[in-house]
Amino acid sequence: MPTPAAAPGAVPAERAAARARGLTKAYGTGETTVLALDAVDVDIARGRFTAVMGPSGSGKSTLMHCLAGLDTVSAGRVWLGGTEITGLRDRELTRLRRDRVGFMFQSFNLVPTLDALENITLPLDIAGRRPDRDWLDRVIDALGLRDRLKHRPAQLSGGQQQRVACARALASRPELIFADEPTGNLDSRAGLEVLGFLRDAVDRLGQTVVMVTHDPGAAAHSDLVLFLADGRIVDGMEHPTAESVLERMKRFDAIRGAYEGDGSAGAAAAAGDTARAAALPAERDPATSADGTGGATEEV
Amino acid sequence: MLRATLRGFLAHKGRLLLSALAVVLSVAFVAGSLIFSDTVSRTFDRLFAATSADVTVEPRQDLTSAVPTGVVQTVPADLARRLEGLGGVAAAHVDVAVRDAVVVDAAGTPVGPTTGAPTIASNWEPTRRSPVRLTSGRAPHGGGEALLDADTARYRGVRIGDVLTVQAQPGSFRVRVTGIATFTTTNPGSARLFLDTPTAQRRLLGSTGRATGISVDAARGTSDTALRGRVEAALGPGRYDVRTAAEHAKSAAADLGGFLKVIKYVMLGFAGIAVLVGVFLIVNTFSMLIAQRTRELGLLRALGADRRQVRRSVLTEAALLGLAGATLGLAAGVGLAAGLIRLLSAFGMNLRTTDTVVAWSTPVAAYAVGVGVTFVAAFLPARRAAAVSPMAALADAEVAGVGRPLRVRAAAGAALGAAGAAALAGCAASGRAATAASLLGAGVVLTLVATVVAGPLLVRPLIRVLGGAFPALFGAVGRMSRRNALRNPRRTGATAAALMVGLALVAGMSVAGSSMNRSFDRRIDRTLGADFIVQNRNFLPFPAEVTARVRGTPGAGVVVRQRFAAVAVALPDGRRVETTASAYDPRLDDVAHLTYASGGTGAALAAGHVAMDAGFARGHGVRPGSVLPFEFQGGRRARLTVGALTDQGDTEAFGVQGGLFLGLGTLERYVPGTPDAAVYVNAAPGTAPALLRSRLERALAPYPQVQVRDQADYKKLVHDQIAVLLYLVYALVGLAIVIAVLGVVNTLALSVVERTREIGLLRAIGLSRRQLRRMIRLESVVIAVFGAVLGLALGLVWGLCLQRVLALQGMTALAIPWGTIATVVIGSAVVGVVAAVLPALRASRMNVLTAIAHE
Repeated sequence: MPTPAAAPGAVPAERAAARARGLTKAYGTGETTVLALDAVDVDIARGRFTAVMGPSGSGKSTLMHCLAGLDTVSAGRVWLGGTEITGLRDRELTRLRRDRVGFMFQSFNLVPTLDALENITLPLDIAGRRPDRDWLDRVIDALGLRDRLKHRPAQLSGGQQQRVACARALASRPELIFADEPTGNLDSRAGLEVLGFLRDAVDRLGQTVVMVTHDPGAAAHSDLVLFLADGRIVDGMEHPTAESVLERMKRFDAIRGAYEGDGSAGAAAAAGDTARAAALPAERDPATSADGTGGATEEV
Repeated sequence: MLRATLRGFLAHKGRLLLSALAVVLSVAFVAGSLIFSDTVSRTFDRLFAATSADVTVEPRQDLTSAVPTGVVQTVPADLARRLEGLGGVAAAHVDVAVRDAVVVDAAGTPVGPTTGAPTIASNWEPTRRSPVRLTSGRAPHGGGEALLDADTARYRGVRIGDVLTVQAQPGSFRVRVTGIATFTTTNPGSARLFLDTPTAQRRLLGSTGRATGISVDAARGTSDTALRGRVEAALGPGRYDVRTAAEHAKSAAADLGGFLKVIKYVMLGFAGIAVLVGVFLIVNTFSMLIAQRTRELGLLRALGADRRQVRRSVLTEAALLGLAGATLGLAAGVGLAAGLIRLLSAFGMNLRTTDTVVAWSTPVAAYAVGVGVTFVAAFLPARRAAAVSPMAALADAEVAGVGRPLRVRAAAGAALGAAGAAALAGCAASGRAATAASLLGAGVVLTLVATVVAGPLLVRPLIRVLGGAFPALFGAVGRMSRRNALRNPRRTGATAAALMVGLALVAGMSVAGSSMNRSFDRRIDRTLGADFIVQNRNFLPFPAEVTARVRGTPGAGVVVRQRFAAVAVALPDGRRVETTASAYDPRLDDVAHLTYASGGTGAALAAGHVAMDAGFARGHGVRPGSVLPFEFQGGRRARLTVGALTDQGDTEAFGVQGGLFLGLGTLERYVPGTPDAAVYVNAAPGTAPALLRSRLERALAPYPQVQVRDQADYKKLVHDQIAVLLYLVYALVGLAIVIAVLGVVNTLALSVVERTREIGLLRAIGLSRRQLRRMIRLESVVIAVFGAVLGLALGLVWGLCLQRVLALQGMTALAIPWGTIATVVIGSAVVGVVAAVLPALRASRMNVLTAIAHE
C-alpha cells in the first residue's frame, strides 16, 4: 500500500480536489487482461491546472474517466473532494458529475438542438437549479460569448464551440473541471485561446482543472504535468515549458522503443506526437502567448 | 457493389427489423385473406356440388327484400309425384326446409347458433347427397320426434330423449329427440333439426300439400341438363326455378359468397391500411439509414461508384427487405388463414378442410405487395442517397437541423389541400346524395394526401404549441424533447402521419356514427308513440302466437302489428322500384306520430290503398290518388291507390326506399300468412306501463327470440346496430394504430442510435437515466399527440361532410363525439409513452464512455 506522501504532486488531503489510491483499471479477463491503470496514486491539488500526459495507450484518458466518475474502477479508491466515489451507484455518480464536475471533450461537446446559452446552463437546468447570474455573466464575458448566446452549435466555429463547452464547465462553479484533449480538434490559434481560458479559470476564477493531452505545447500551460506510461504515473513536472515537456516525452519514446524492441507502431505514434509538438513552439512562444490571451480577456 | 450492398443489408438488419415487421404484417393480411377466402369458397363449392340433387325445383325467386319478410314460398308437394313419372327421372322427393326456425329446450333457452347463423328445420330424407348421417339413435317417425345435428347437440347439451319446442310459423310444437345426425361434410354454421316429411310439411308449412322444393334424381344415362329441360317442359316454363346440380351449387355458393366477400374485403381493407401505414415506416427507416450512412455513401462515391450504382444499391437493399418480408408474410398469411378457419369453427362453422388452398395468385400478390411496398417506399430515399456528394465522405456528418427546404412540399400540399377542400365544400353544398358521396370520396383522398405531404410543414407550428408547456413543466428535459421532435420535421411528419391515417378514420366514422345515433333518436322521439315494442333483436318476424300472447296480456291496450312486404312498383316516370313496404293495423295513430303532406292514416291504410313519402312521390311523378301497379312476393299483382303522402323527411334508411306503407288487410289479401315483424303495445288506461312490461315479459318468456322494449331500449337497439359498424372500423384502425406505434418505436429507436454521442454527452454532464428516459418519452408523446391532433382535425372535417351526405338521406342531426375525441387524444399520449419504452430503455442502458466515443 503506497503512502499518500508517495503520490506525485501530493498535497494534504483537505487541499486535494480529487485523490486516488491504488487505482487500478483492467480490461478483459484471464490471459487477455490489459491493465490500463496499475495501482495509481494521485492527488489533484485544488486551485491548480494539472495536465496529464503520456503516449497513446498510457491510460491517461482512463485515469481522467475514473477520477470523474465516468468509469468504474477495478480496484483502489477514488475521492472527489471529501467524497469517496468508488462504490457509488449510477444515480449518485450522475448527480456528482452534474453538480460537482465540469467536462470538456475533444469534440461533440454541445447538444445541437440547444443554443449556446442553453448549452452553458444545461447542467444547472438538468439539476433544476437557477444559475448564479453574476457568475454566469462573468464566465460569458470572460469567454467573449456575449454576442453568440442565441446561436446554435452548428452556427459556431470549432473554437467558439469549445469556448461554449468551457463556459458550460465553469457555469456551475464545479469543484473540478476535466478537459479531455480540449484542443485536439482545433487549429493552433483557437487551441491557444481555449488553453488561455482554462489558465484564466484557474488564476482568476479559482477553479481546478485537469486536462488530458498529448500536446506538449498545451501541457506547458499547466502548473503541473503528470506523465503516465503503461498505466503508471512515472513522473511529475512543475512549471513546465513546451520544450521541457517535449524533452521528457522523447525520453519516454526512447525507453519505450528500446524496451519494446520493434515497437514500430508505438514509435510511429510517438513520432507523430513529436512532430506536432515541435510544430507548436515554432509558430509561437507558448509562454508569451498565454499571457497575451490572458491579458486580452482580463480587460472585459 | 452487390457484395457491398449485401454487407450493408446484413449490417443494418437490426435497424430494418421493424420495417420488415411492417412488410410481414401487410403481406400476411393480403395472403391470409386470399388463402382464407379461396379455401372457404372451395370448401363450400365442394359441399354444394356434393349435396345438390341432379335437378331441383323451387319457387320462383321474384322479389327480394332488404328486410326479411318471413314469408316462406312453397311449391305443391304433388309435383314430386308428377315428376316421378317423367322419363329420365329415377326418383323425385319433396324438400321441406325452413330457415329461421326457433328451437328452445325445456328451460326456454334457445337451441341453435349464437352467431346469427340460421336454425334450419327440415324433413329427414336421407340420400347419398345428405350432408348429415344418422350417427346415434333412430330416424324420426310421426309428429313428436326429431333429429338434431351433433354439433348443436354437443354445444347445447341436448341428448337423445330430451324434449324441445319448435316455434314454427304455423304454431309451436314439442318434439322428442330420437337421434343425432352428424355432418359428413362442412357444417356451414347452422343448426339442423330434422322431422319426418309429413310432420315437416304440416308443422312447418301448415299443410301436407306443400313443399319448399322438389329434388329430382336423373335416371342412368340422362344428363342433368337434359333432365332440367324435361322437368321445365312438364311444369311449364317460368313457373318455377328449375336448376341442375351445378347451377344450384353455384347459386347457393353465390348466396354465401356475399358473406364471404364481406370477410374478404374486410381483410383486404386491413391489408390496405397495413400497407399504407407500413409505407410511412419504411420511408422513415430508409431515410434515416441513409442519413446515418452519408459518409459511407460519400466514400463509395469518392471511390468511383456512380449515382446509379448508389441508387441501385439502396433499391436492392429495399428489394431484399421486401423479399424477406414477403416470404415471412406469406408464411404468416397461411397461419392467419388457418387461425381464421379455427375461429370460424369456434363459431360453429366447421370447415373440414384437409387442404389449405393456395392459388397461384396468392404468392404473386404477396411478393408484389411486399417488394412493391418497400420499393416504392425506398424510392425517394434512394434518390437522396444517389445525390450524396463524394465530399460527404470528408465532411463532418453531424447535421442537426433539416436538410433541404420544404418548398416543393408546401406547394404540392397547398395545391392538393385546395383541391380536397374544394371537393369537400362541393360535397357539403351538394343536393344529390350520389354526387355528394363521390365528392366526399375524392375530398377524403385529396385531403389525406395533402396532409401527408404538408405534414412536415405543420410540425414546427403545431409541436411548438403542443410541447409549449414542456420547458415549464419538465425544465431542460422538456425543452430538449420538444426540440428533438422539431429536429427533423420530415421524420416527425412521416411518423405522425401513420398515426394520423388511422385516427382520421376513427374521428370521421365516429362523427358519422354519433350523428346517425342522434338522427335515429330524434326520429324515434318524434314518431314512436307506443309504450312498448315487441320484436326480434335482428328484426326477424316471429310466430303469430307471440302476438296472441301480447293481446292476451292483462292491461294491454291498443296493439298494432307491423309486417314487411317485398314489393315492386311501376312509377309514372317509367321507373320500376323494388323496395320493402310496411303494413300496419288501422290504429297506427295510437302508436306512432305521423305527419302527412296529403291525406291521413285512415286513407293510407284503407283497403287497396298505399301511402308513401311525399319527396319520393314528387321525384317520381306520383300524386295523391294515383293508381300504381304493384307486384308482391309470390307473384300476385295489384293496382293500389295512393291514399296519403307522408312528410317525415327521413325515409331512406337501411336500404328501404320510398317509405311505402299500407293496411295490414291489404297485404293479407295479396301475401296471406305474412308473419308479424313487430307489435306495438300501449298500456290500457289505468294500467301502469311498468306493470304491463313485467306482465308482457312474463307472458313472452317462452319466446326468447323476442324482447319487450320501451323507447329507450329501442334507441339502444338501434345504437347497437350502428356500433357494430363502428367496431368494424375500429378493428381496422386498431391494426393501423399497431403499425403506427411500431413506426414511432422505429423512429425513436433509430433516433437514439443516431444521437448516441449526444446521449453520451448528456449522461456525462449529469443527465440521469430517468431524465434521459423521460426526454425520449416526452418526444414520443409529442409526436403521437401531433399525429392525433392532425388526424382528428382531418377526421372531423370528413365527418362533417359525411354527415351532410347522410343528411341528404334523412339523417339530419349532427353530433360531435367529444368523449371519443378526448379519449383519442389521451390514448395517443399513452401510445407515445408505450412506444418510447424500449427506445428509452435502450438509451438509458448505453455506456456513457462508449456513447461519447461512438462514431
